[in-house]
Amino acid sequence: MGMIYNRDTFLQTIARQLGREQILSDVHRPNWNYTPQWTVFQGYSQEELLSALEAQCSRIHTDFVATTADALATTLKQVVEQYGGGPIVTWDDQRFSEYGLLPLLEAEWPSENVDVHIWDASAGRKNIEWAEKANVGITFSDMTLAESGTVVLFSDAGKGRSVSFLPRTYIAIIPKSTIVPRMTQAAAFIHKQIEIGRIVPSCINFITGPSNSADIEMNLVVGVHGPVKAAYIIVTDR
Amino acid sequence: MAMKIGADSFHQRVEAGLHNSFMRGAVAGAQERLRTRRLDAAEELGNWEEWRALGEQIRQHTLLHLDYYLMQLSENVAKRGGHVFFAQTAEEANQYIREVVIKKNAKKIVKSKSMVTEEIHLNAMLEAAGCEVIETDLGEYILQIDDHDPPSHIVAPALHKNKEQIRDVFRKKLAYDKTEKPEELAAHARKMLRNEYLTADVGITGCNFAIAESGSITLVTNEGNADLVTALPKTQITVMGMERIVPTFEEMEVLVSLLTRSAVGQKLTSYITVLTGPRDEGDVDGPEEFHLVIVDNGRSSILGTEFQPVLQCIRCAACVNVCPVYRHIGGHSYGSIYSEPIGAVLSPLLGGYDDYKELPYASTLCAACTEACPVKIPLHELLLKHRQIIVEREGKAPISEKLAMKAFGLGAASSLLYKLGSKVAPNALQPFTTDERIVKGIGPLKAWTEIREFPAPAKERFRDWFREHRKERERDGNDL
Amino acid sequence: MKVTLFITCLVDLFHPNVGKATVELLERLGCEVEFPEAQTCCGQPAYNSGYVKEAKEAMKHMIRTFEHAQYIVTPSGSCATMFKEYPHIFQHDQEWEAKAKKVAEKTYELTQFLVDVLKVENVGAKLKGRATYHTSCHMTRLLGVKDAPSRLLKHVEGLEVVPLPNAHNCCGFGGTFSVKMGPISEQTVDEKVRYIEETNADYLIGADCGCLMNIGGRLERTGKRIRVMHIAEVLNSR
Repeated sequence: MGMIYNRDTFLQTIARQLGREQILSDVHRPNWNYTPQWTVFQGYSQEELLSALEAQCSRIHTDFVATTADALATTLKQVVEQYGGGPIVTWDDQRFSEYGLLPLLEAEWPSENVDVHIWDASAGRKNIEWAEKANVGITFSDMTLAESGTVVLFSDAGKGRSVSFLPRTYIAIIPKSTIVPRMTQAAAFIHKQIEIGRIVPSCINFITGPSNSADIEMNLVVGVHGPVKAAYIIVTDR
Repeated sequence: MAMKIGADSFHQRVEAGLHNSFMRGAVAGAQERLRTRRLDAAEELGNWEEWRALGEQIRQHTLLHLDYYLMQLSENVAKRGGHVFFAQTAEEANQYIREVVIKKNAKKIVKSKSMVTEEIHLNAMLEAAGCEVIETDLGEYILQIDDHDPPSHIVAPALHKNKEQIRDVFRKKLAYDKTEKPEELAAHARKMLRNEYLTADVGITGCNFAIAESGSITLVTNEGNADLVTALPKTQITVMGMERIVPTFEEMEVLVSLLTRSAVGQKLTSYITVLTGPRDEGDVDGPEEFHLVIVDNGRSSILGTEFQPVLQCIRCAACVNVCPVYRHIGGHSYGSIYSEPIGAVLSPLLGGYDDYKELPYASTLCAACTEACPVKIPLHELLLKHRQIIVEREGKAPISEKLAMKAFGLGAASSLLYKLGSKVAPNALQPFTTDERIVKGIGPLKAWTEIREFPAPAKERFRDWFREHRKERERDGNDL
Repeated sequence: MKVTLFITCLVDLFHPNVGKATVELLERLGCEVEFPEAQTCCGQPAYNSGYVKEAKEAMKHMIRTFEHAQYIVTPSGSCATMFKEYPHIFQHDQEWEAKAKKVAEKTYELTQFLVDVLKVENVGAKLKGRATYHTSCHMTRLLGVKDAPSRLLKHVEGLEVVPLPNAHNCCGFGGTFSVKMGPISEQTVDEKVRYIEETNADYLIGADCGCLMNIGGRLERTGKRIRVMHIAEVLNSR
């Protein structure tokens, strides 16, 4: 339990300025007069959402590669090669095994002298060193937003934040079923989780392409602090 | 006042701004680009006015229940093991942060861009406490290594600098040996900053939106620097203006959509990061310790007043990007980290009229800002309210103007006086008139005629003509 | 149809030709034009300078002068906007708020009246040459009259209307801004003048005498041969 300092006078000042007593409970959000966020891509099929996502990828400097679950390992290997190969860092995530990627990660790549580090909470800060040295970071997408071309990542012990920030290239594997119209659906999902008492992950990332900046004469530079390149591999039959 | 930059008077700063032709070109170009992007992004949605109405309603609801939501926020942060400090003043905020930093024995601090820490002059305090403070937003980093040049735009802080100037600063301060190409400059900054993230003891961020229902904070960037600032150091301190809060994830989502579209015309920026408390048990990255500092610093005195809507602001700078005055004088002219038009409303409220009494007048009241604001702050009306206060309560208006306006009130409220005054005007102004033009005026006319011709009052007023016209028509039998 | 003319102080004193054109145009379109001699100024100069008390005196006088009109028509977007603001300004003053509302509801800017009430777009005007149109800020943004002028100008025989680059930018008039912030106003109007020159227009047309005085005064001072015309004068050309 953390500490809270100076709260009472602070909040009393606010209440006084608002010309009323402090409100401690029973505040409910009103029914908003407009809810335009729900109309974006309303009624789109999964197929249509996928096309919207693909279109958006070209606007966010992100490569879009479609594949199937069976061909995923081969595709992933190719894409990694295109970006210059290892070292590689990945999440420790059940889905790597479910999608049949462990042979690639644990045997094939190491046999070709490609360094692969799977996030290992017990190794502590060592993970960050791996991620910092890695050329490629690979994660699955937990939810994917078609409108903006965004992958949503929920952190946990095996799903370190650094995998998507520190390597030069970031690759997200996106099962088609994770695609929703926009951030609205992701926010509503998280809100529901909170309402039923679930714990929010300490870090939720909404990542849209590689890092970039326009701070020098408004010229877009892709690749500043985080990844310089990004690719989405979409698994179309999952 | 802490938010103040420089000691020059407003008119001196404007003079400097008007003579900075690179800056003016850069600002005009940026305005056009950002305005177009914003309009395109809005058009793509098709129902932008509904989005704005929703944004406004969310902000209004939150402000009306601010104490409740801050209570909820702080409870939830504490539940997750984070510490919350409520700071009434800039000094209190700085004092608390100083204590944390000293307790952690911190030598190096990395920061991601935050207007509120600029407002409370946090860096100066940290440096005085013996810490090395590194700004990691590329624009802020450039300004910082250039001997703390102040930011000139809320979203693009180094807008006033060209790439040659940046190259020269890099050469002088960072042993840089490449060209002025933005890619090369950015790559160098990347290299320099990587090491700083990895070795910093404390990371400090601002907060775009805190989420009351979960005790989370939301950070919006394109560079991803806020992620590194919060993922790598062992201690994280987040400083937020007390109004930067929403009830739930659902409202955060709407405001983020409004923010990124209005600021840069993007559907979302590259990184939207929602952090809750320190890292979880078993997590490797993320801070061990998390402190949230909630800053009032004059904001509460705006609540409950006619200026309350200014607290709806989400710091997108859409108003800056359409302001015709900012366009020509740039951000430094305002003498405040918050520049026109939001800054012209906010600076006198947070910093007082003594320092900022000119700002409300540095506007043509063209309402481009009001039209652009994604949360519908009536900015030009608030500028008018400032003018009214300066005249009525602060008594800071010039005597000559007061007399003129008194005369106006009398004259315009009485048809007799108006008729009389307007009839003698041509004669009164006769000595200054050539060719039915006034070329050199006196009094307020002087300022006008220094720049442009002024028409001499017509010899026959409209009303005189109309009277004749009326008679003529009646003579002609009124055959309508 | 009976139209009560609110001529504005600028037109009355400095630009009577605009007033004459307005009257002739309206009469030709079958309106009976009345001009209450008691009218003075809408109060905007004082109001926008922060002198609300003084402005309110003028406003009350104008409300009294116009409250019995059927349609109030004015050749100024900015002054029409001021009338529309009256109810807001007299908020919480029951008596005057109600009266102000009545006045505001029947107030029209000239082109707005022609297009929305008289339902005419072709007024039978003729003018030879090339013109560009300055959109005034108050008229477009606050009054919301965006395309009435261009719809009317489209039908002026012999007139070619070319778009003004960056038309959305203010001309730098801003009432007392033009004298209080002279150096900034100068740069703003100079930029406007540059764009006007780029169009190679013979005429600069506008619907607000304030902006036209500012731009026209600068055009003259800098020796540019572009004729400034109020839209009423254009529509009354035959």
